[in-house]
Amino acid sequence: MRIPLIAALSIFAVACGGSIPPPNDEWSAAQADVGRAESGGAPAVPDAKLHLQLAQEDLQKSKALMNNQENERAASLVALARAEAQLALSLARATQAQGDAQQAQQDLQKAKGN
Amino acid sequence: MNFTRLSIMMAPLVVAGLGACGGDRPPPKSLVDARNELATAKNGIAAQLDPTDVHEADLALQKAERAWSNAPDEPNTLDLAVIAQRKAQIAEAEAAVLKAQQDAATAKRDLQVVMSSQLQSARGQLDQTKQALNKTQDQLQAEQRTADEQRKKLADLEAKLKDARDTIAKIAAVKDDDRGMVITLQGEVLFPTGKWELKAGAMAKLDQIADALRGKEQPMVVYGFTDNVGTHDNNMELSQKRATSVRDYLASKGIPQDLITAQGKGPDVPISDNNSVEGRAANRRVEIVVQPKKS
Repeated sequence: MRIPLIAALSIFAVACGGSIPPPNDEWSAAQADVGRAESGGAPAVPDAKLHLQLAQEDLQKSKALMNNQENERAASLVALARAEAQLALSLARATQAQGDAQQAQQDLQKAKGN
Repeated sequence: MNFTRLSIMMAPLVVAGLGACGGDRPPPKSLVDARNELATAKNGIAAQLDPTDVHEADLALQKAERAWSNAPDEPNTLDLAVIAQRKAQIAEAEAAVLKAQQDAATAKRDLQVVMSSQLQSARGQLDQTKQALNKTQDQLQAEQRTADEQRKKLADLEAKLKDARDTIAKIAAVKDDDRGMVITLQGEVLFPTGKWELKAGAMAKLDQIADALRGKEQPMVVYGFTDNVGTHDNNMELSQKRATSVRDYLASKGIPQDLITAQGKGPDVPISDNNSVEGRAANRRVEIVVQPKKS
């Protein structure tokens, strides 16, 4: 009973995957997110760098899936890539903002000490 | 039929699906992590500072939960869980950005207050220094004026003294030595032989000298001298009396008494040879010594 069920589900999945269009716009948006994370300083912050790499890997995988017409799976990975890239940017921004705040605090203490 | 109405109608079906699919199996780690991460975001600063991102994470988690209920074996279900977790992490990171920006703004504002206060204090000190400087300059100018006035007074006095000297030089011998300006008058001109009362002609000369010296405010000593004829005591007495006569006369003509003294020197300080008539005549004399003014 199990094998026919899996076979039926697979046929259904392929049919559905094939019916949705490739997520080209989302893929471009994800690529833009990766670009923003890169220029936003993510490569210099270890945590952010990790999520940036995950985003890049997901993007590559999704491209391969799109080439195989597995568009639904590709769309899911593109969405994940976007989340990873956006997190990478947020982490980089947080690190920079915290650095700025620390510097401002040091400046204040220095001025008070004088 | 709008979407809301459709959702209400579908709700019982979704609940039924939750029971049927994911309900009996433990959720995957990524979904548990997403739930925990969202709880952290909701309980932390993200809820206050970045509610929009927290809401998005909440929606993402709801989507992941639905997927887990409906299709737990779909690979996309795990993606949705990770996406929900990332959204919660983004909310926390963005809240951290806002918190850090607020902290930096506060520190910068405080810095401005501190610097403004320090600037004000420095300006106050500068003002005080300027005031002190102005005061010192005023004092210096006042001292300068006083010094100028004193210099002018001294120059006036010197000029007057020179005038006096020129006047006196016409009627008596004038010289300078270490005692000051020395006016020498011959005894014969002033007194009859052996006497100390002034001759009429002597008074006329002394009048001119008094006129010239009046107002100079310089101390004077009148010395009387004799030749060596007669006893020493007599000569000492005569010279003292003659000096006193001249002193008294000058005082009567307006020279302040406290500035002028008389002293008889007798024959003790000859300026010429007592063996000749001319020498003795030269030694019989009165000297008025005008001493330099003590400043």
